[in-house]
Amino acid sequence: MIIAFGKRFKSNEQDKILSLMEDRINKTLSGKSLDIQKVINAIDALGKEIGSGIYDEKIKKLPIDDPLQYKDMAVNMLSKEALETKLKTELGEVSQGNTKIMPLGVIFHIAAGNMEGLPAYCMAEGLLTGNINILKLPQADNDLSVEIIERLIAIEPNLADYIYVFDTPSSDIRGMEKMAALSDGISVWGGDEAVLAVRRLAPPTAKLIEWGHKLGFAYISGEYKESDLSDIALHIAVTKQLLCSSCQVIYLDTEDMEELYTFGKRFLPILEQAVNVHSSNSIGTRANITLRSYTDMLWSFISDKNSPDMLKGKGCSVKICGDNGLELSPMLGNVLVKRLPRKNIVPVLRKSKGYLQTAGLICSEKDKIELCRIFAQCGITKITTPKEMSETHLGEGHDGEYALRRYTRIVNEYF
Amino acid sequence: MKYRNKLFSYKKPYDLKATNELLKKAILENCLYQYKNCKEYRKILDGMGFDPQKIGTNSDIPDNILEKIPVIPTMLFKRMKMFSMPKWKIPIKATSSGTSGKNVSEIGFDAGALICGLKMVLKVGGERKVFSLTPCHYVIMGYQPHKSNKTAVAKTAFGATLFTPCLSRTYILKYKNGKYLPDFDGIISRLKTLERSSFTCRFMGFPAYTYFLLKIMEEKGIKIKLPKGSKILLGGGWKQFYAEQPDKSEFYRLSKEILGINEENIIEFFGAVEHPVLYCDCKKHHFHVPIYSRVLIRDVDTLKPLGYGETGLVNLITPMVKATPVLSVMTDDLGILHKGEECGCGNSSPYLEIVGRVAPDSIKTCAAGAAEMLEKIM
Repeated sequence: MIIAFGKRFKSNEQDKILSLMEDRINKTLSGKSLDIQKVINAIDALGKEIGSGIYDEKIKKLPIDDPLQYKDMAVNMLSKEALETKLKTELGEVSQGNTKIMPLGVIFHIAAGNMEGLPAYCMAEGLLTGNINILKLPQADNDLSVEIIERLIAIEPNLADYIYVFDTPSSDIRGMEKMAALSDGISVWGGDEAVLAVRRLAPPTAKLIEWGHKLGFAYISGEYKESDLSDIALHIAVTKQLLCSSCQVIYLDTEDMEELYTFGKRFLPILEQAVNVHSSNSIGTRANITLRSYTDMLWSFISDKNSPDMLKGKGCSVKICGDNGLELSPMLGNVLVKRLPRKNIVPVLRKSKGYLQTAGLICSEKDKIELCRIFAQCGITKITTPKEMSETHLGEGHDGEYALRRYTRIVNEYF
Repeated sequence: MKYRNKLFSYKKPYDLKATNELLKKAILENCLYQYKNCKEYRKILDGMGFDPQKIGTNSDIPDNILEKIPVIPTMLFKRMKMFSMPKWKIPIKATSSGTSGKNVSEIGFDAGALICGLKMVLKVGGERKVFSLTPCHYVIMGYQPHKSNKTAVAKTAFGATLFTPCLSRTYILKYKNGKYLPDFDGIISRLKTLERSSFTCRFMGFPAYTYFLLKIMEEKGIKIKLPKGSKILLGGGWKQFYAEQPDKSEFYRLSKEILGINEENIIEFFGAVEHPVLYCDCKKHHFHVPIYSRVLIRDVDTLKPLGYGETGLVNLITPMVKATPVLSVMTDDLGILHKGEECGCGNSSPYLEIVGRVAPDSIKTCAAGAAEMLEKIM
């Protein structure tokens, strides 16, 4: 399914539509620029409609654990207040005097398939900055994104010229190359492979707006309390280690392997309890957990004994590792524990530069300033308590940047 | 392996009812062999408390034997290699089609398995009339064989060109300077020549590349009418099969329009290196279970077998291979088994539908803002 020129088309009309787009985009750019207030009002009205429950039946079918809570979050984010705050924080007072902040022009969004609601939200961010948006839907997307975007156009028909949606499969590289050729910026979410694939098809002049996968970790220096461990366990259990901000590795400020075992044994029952309270509803996730745990069991038969490094709990595990690299854990309640003496933080974490995002810190008050400084200098963009690793605060950046700034450019006019 | 050979010599490839007893015997025979000859497999069975030696081969084998024999996840084969005979006795080793060299399983095939495989291919393929004595040209939408490529896909694509006498083979993925690159222009010019040939043409290989080729030709306005009876044979792994599924009707339309090949001449296959039974689609494009294989769908929490129409993990069973203990494996797919009668093609064997994969295999993306949405609910 395709949305273009404010109408719905069949997928097989893609080439025809793409061939008409250049003229149409030029015409749109020749006209008046998009009225951002109208965009805000339309998105706000759409949010209110979603809040009223008319999409509940479809939202309930989404493969996520708590769809209605998810809906409430979406409604909040689409509200006028949230959008205005976002604009003010991210673009602030850039436009003044001879300096104007302007849309990039055309943004081609390549949305990731594994997060519900992302495609529609990309579109909203592009519109908020006044851009024309070409959205490639992820293959696994259901009709919900299309329906919501169509509704947005119905609420504010002026948006029709700023919205193009395609359900092109990722194997149709030619189609994607054409979309990229029409664009000033290409925004892509995903892992290294997705990012590299987009770099290959992008024209050299397009601005690449990459939101790659990142890694989070917890760092414990000195004494830790039972409540600290509960906080880490809860964070692991609720995010299932699936987010860039999730804790993959717990580092201890020590050189002593014994300390890791002591920690692991103390932490495992706490993690087990948290994981059991927050088990998943998604069939794919449950299958993954079952399959992995069954495989581990067979593996333990072959290797004759349970490895002393692997502390197994019900639905979770704590692995004591001899190395110090920051890496993706097996996720879903399976965390890695490693040594990282303070003096080694910089050389170790610099090996993962480009992947660094969130650090959850447990340390004494007097060490906090020093450790924050070291982490920030390494390239970490958010330092907080383990409890708040995946919480967001109004006005905070993402991966060290403000999204809306990346979708805009500065224009100077002197006369 | 007398029961295995008997099963693979059976004439009707979809007569499950008549072969149930034979299959159970063949599975037990295979299980006993693996138990005695593969030390890792023996440890697994011991650990699970299953002793195949306690089940007499000649007496009545319990009905639930297929469900009782411990199932091995393909995930475990990716972690370690397991062989049940000395390496010099294993003529072929094939790997699953991993892209990075990591996370691949290596499965050994004994000579007996290869002979069984040949018999199977003749019978399963015969149902869809893929064999002919009339020669034809092959266009292979896959890898040109090269000594560095051990994937089963490369081997089966080449093997399938033996279905009929082969006049020529043209490959899309050519090996140049240490890597494979697709050569679409080469294929298109070759097709223009083949259009005038008095022999038919057969496409074989990855659905994604074939689809992509059709799109390029459509875009360039190139339409070809291949000789009547030309076919498209598709295969190349479940993952791709699953990902391409939404494009099927579009695929059929393009094949007709661009190459002049009708839907009934498009035949899909699938198989996995860990379960090398050939599944071939019926006229309604469903994958019915052939006699060499049995499918159990298992509950995602308890691993207990489920009934028809229910979604779960896919457990594939076959006595085909002796060199590696792949008699009962569990893939990373989620599937549903349907009653054969629901298809309507006349084949009464149940058919397997793959509906997804275990999730997730990587971290979720978090985008600015949108990530916040997810982070909050978590």
